[in-house]
Amino acid sequence: MSFDIALILDSIPKMLMGIGLTLQLLFLSAALGLTLAIILLLMRISGRWYLAAPTMAYIYIFRGTPILVQIFIIYYGLPQLDFVRDSIFWPILREPFGCAILALTLNTGAYVSEILRGGVLGVDRGLKEAGAALGLSTTHRFIYITTPIAIRLALPAYSNDVISLMKSTALASTITLLDMTGIARTIVAETYAPYEIFMSLMVIYLILTWMIQRSFGWVERCMSRYVREEV
Amino acid sequence: MMKKICTILAALAVLAFGVVNTATAETLRVGMECTYAPFNFKSADGELMGYDVDVANGVAGIIGADLEFVCQQWDGMIPALLANKFDLIIASMSITEKRLEKMDFSDTYRISVGRLVGRKDAGWELFDDAGNPIPENFAGLKVGLERATTYADWFENELPEAEVVLYDSNEALYLDLVNGRTDMIMTNPMKAYLRFLSKEDGGGFEFVSPQIDEKKYFGIGVGIGLRKGNDELKARLNAAIKTLTEDGSLERYALQYFPFAIH
Repeated sequence: MSFDIALILDSIPKMLMGIGLTLQLLFLSAALGLTLAIILLLMRISGRWYLAAPTMAYIYIFRGTPILVQIFIIYYGLPQLDFVRDSIFWPILREPFGCAILALTLNTGAYVSEILRGGVLGVDRGLKEAGAALGLSTTHRFIYITTPIAIRLALPAYSNDVISLMKSTALASTITLLDMTGIARTIVAETYAPYEIFMSLMVIYLILTWMIQRSFGWVERCMSRYVREEV
Repeated sequence: MMKKICTILAALAVLAFGVVNTATAETLRVGMECTYAPFNFKSADGELMGYDVDVANGVAGIIGADLEFVCQQWDGMIPALLANKFDLIIASMSITEKRLEKMDFSDTYRISVGRLVGRKDAGWELFDDAGNPIPENFAGLKVGLERATTYADWFENELPEAEVVLYDSNEALYLDLVNGRTDMIMTNPMKAYLRFLSKEDGGGFEFVSPQIDEKKYFGIGVGIGLRKGNDELKARLNAAIKTLTEDGSLERYALQYFPFAIH
């Protein structure tokens, strides 16, 4: 088969016009998702069943269903209900961008809260006991001992989730958003050249992944200074 | 012996009758899908009907031919015509450059058009009396279109003022129009009528534009397909289609299935 270099050179700048939207989707839903995850985590480890049980159900539902289905339910399903269209949330849900952010946030929030819980559970009991022996309250022990160590422990898994979130932003193209994938699909529909276009798109995503990996690698090095001598 | 003579006589009779028959009327075999409502399909009691069938019968009446309908799947339609399985394709087949390389087409008996659908109470003034769009009145309006269709082409080039939203399927267009995410959509008026406007969901909506048929974007239309080198037959078909257009028959056929003409 032929490989149309001119077409690739022509379409890469067009696809890059969508990188702004891809990054907006990524950063906004990552930030909101992390906030949601922290709230879910605190509810989950609160030790009170009426807080923990709904959290577990939430995590089960959002981890247990495909994100594409979640996007479709939020985008096409919710507006079928009249009260949604009359609610104050309609200006957000009316826009495909708002729906995509909501779906990605809810989804990543469920995953990240479990990652954070893994970090919290990984903190050595001895350290917490030492804190208690020094007279720190439960809250202080959580803030000053558990949290910093848990963050360090959760970081590798969290970077994984951010990369996976970055790839999920491509699903926004299914609800009319023209992110990089949306633009690529439009070009393919016009040129019938899926091979060239999607290969170039892959390369762009790989570069983004590399940048995310490097950033997290740097943060990890900064945060693990306390163990570096031992290694 | 007696039996043999009888057989021979019978055969001669058939032969003679056959010859006489072709002399009075030619038989044209017509290929169509028979499953493409409302253009060519079988009714509940097995009768072949639809716009294409009406056109075929109308044409046959004028050129004085008998018709024999052959049901053929779409992907094998042109090969079957070329292999002489039938003589004409009257199956809502659009005239395209690619098809014209292999076969011939009569003049059009149905147009390829696009039409805008929007809310009944919107009160826009989008087109002037001559049916031309007023670009500034499209500014800021959201128009739902299917990705990489002729409609998307038309909007991009003729009305860049409008904000175009691209969808992957025809159904999604109607959903988001009802949900209020788009102000209007542009699609094939026949599809829009059958799938949306004639249904409950489409109650509050109507066509908000005339039929838009710029050939540069929407192509020539639908014609009767035939093998190359049949110029005499083609001329007769064209004359028949002209008559059907002028005497209002095409419009009458269309009004049986749609509330508007489609030629």
